[in-house]
Amino acid sequence: MVAVSTREKLKPMVNSGNNAIRIRVRGLGKRYGALEVFRGIDLEAGDHEIVAIVGPSGCGKTTLLRCIDGLLAVDSGEVVVDSERVTSPIAGVAMVFQHFGLFPWKTVYDNVAYGLRMAGISRAEITRRVPHFINLVGLKGFEKAFPYQMSGGMQQRCGLARALAIEPRVLLMDEPFAAVDAQTREILQFELLRIWEQRPTTMLFVTHSIEEAVLMGDRVVVLKGRPSNIHETIAIDLPRPRTRDTLREPRFGELRERVWGTLMSEARQAEFQLGA
Amino acid sequence: MHRILSGRYLPFALSLIAGVALWELAGRNTSAAFMVPFSETMLRLWELAASGALAVQFLDSATLFITGFALALLIGMPFGLLLARLQSLRIALEPYIMVLYATPMVALIPFILSMMGFGFAPKVLVVFLFAIFPILYNTIEGARSIKPELIEVAQSFRSNEWALWREVIVPYTLPFTMTGVRQAVGRGLVGMVAAEFFLSSTGLGQAIMMSSQNFDTSAVFALILVIGLLGVGLMRLGLTIENRFARWRD
Repeated sequence: MVAVSTREKLKPMVNSGNNAIRIRVRGLGKRYGALEVFRGIDLEAGDHEIVAIVGPSGCGKTTLLRCIDGLLAVDSGEVVVDSERVTSPIAGVAMVFQHFGLFPWKTVYDNVAYGLRMAGISRAEITRRVPHFINLVGLKGFEKAFPYQMSGGMQQRCGLARALAIEPRVLLMDEPFAAVDAQTREILQFELLRIWEQRPTTMLFVTHSIEEAVLMGDRVVVLKGRPSNIHETIAIDLPRPRTRDTLREPRFGELRERVWGTLMSEARQAEFQLGA
Repeated sequence: MHRILSGRYLPFALSLIAGVALWELAGRNTSAAFMVPFSETMLRLWELAASGALAVQFLDSATLFITGFALALLIGMPFGLLLARLQSLRIALEPYIMVLYATPMVALIPFILSMMGFGFAPKVLVVFLFAIFPILYNTIEGARSIKPELIEVAQSFRSNEWALWREVIVPYTLPFTMTGVRQAVGRGLVGMVAAEFFLSSTGLGQAIMMSSQNFDTSAVFALILVIGLLGVGLMRLGLTIENRFARWRD
């Protein structure tokens, strides 16, 4: 709570993300052979800004995120993070995966330590940081557990700790809560918001859940079409810190309806295409 | 006491006693040229052990087995990992590996004999050839079954190639390799005995041949028992190692 009030003094209640631009995506295009996934994507994210990306399934949200991480080569355009052009994964950017991506032969402790070891962090620093981040995500006591011994929600807490432990400037979230049950999903959403308030980072948050996008984002970017493009960007002027109460605000409902309206025609179209 | 009776020990002990009894009965009612009873086999085993001959033969065989097997593991695993990672090399070599894996290795022994003669090296080669293919094959299949997502995670965390092998590919593949190791134990023992039959004047295999030619059936049975127990022991060891490396698999 202390951290929250400090933030409020320093910044307006609404996170406008108007500080330095951290991520700049220009004219990004990607194709798989004859299939053009997206074209001409322009996107910016400011320091400490959360940009949620929504779109119908198969619109290339996840592919876009992988291109921004440098995991996939792009066919046109460029991704720049802090004036560094991304062609392969760069330091200070961490990704949280829909499939958790934990190494099943490593314990929680070793999974969280993995990113730090890859970053060449000293052993002393690793033994200091790992327990801290395990505590932060609420996994204290599970340091020696293997992934198969934990629920999906706990596994993703571990995935989150692994990404946070390298203290990234940019967090890339690839539908991080899509593979857990509805209740756990809600718990993890508010956990993530709590953690973000403590240590805000720039975040791109890919999701197919409109509610989640509105709850998390300072802006919601709607991807549509084939090949997809940014159809609309909706500013989410809900105050932070966002909590369960945010869900009951009339403004939340309005914004959710707005994003839904933008997506709906496309979703219906996609459904009929699948049915045909 | 109740646990022992109802658990796995009782059926195990009963089966063992029944087996020995059956052996004893069959041996007593068969010509000594074909089969000897359990008691006689044990007696002969004791004699062989006491004379020191068994220890010498056992040591010879063990040296052969360990050398050939160690080479199979030291070459089979890294080579398997390499083939799993380099697709073109794997496609090029796969037909040969398949043919060699499927070929009964015994058929190669005359060829090895004519090429290399009777020394230690050709025998090691036989054990090596018997043992390497399960190790190689399981390692390739294991390493290829790794989820691309995990490789992607490693890349996202900026792993270099060396760290990718050390942290991801090798730990993932080890349980598969160990399955191959366990299978290779049985085949390696066959190779050991076969090599000693055809290429050697020492070892347990040759001792079986000699005893058989001298109609010393009790010695033949005693030596087969030793090799059989050795095989069981090695397979149990292999299983323990396999489970040790696979404890993360649910």
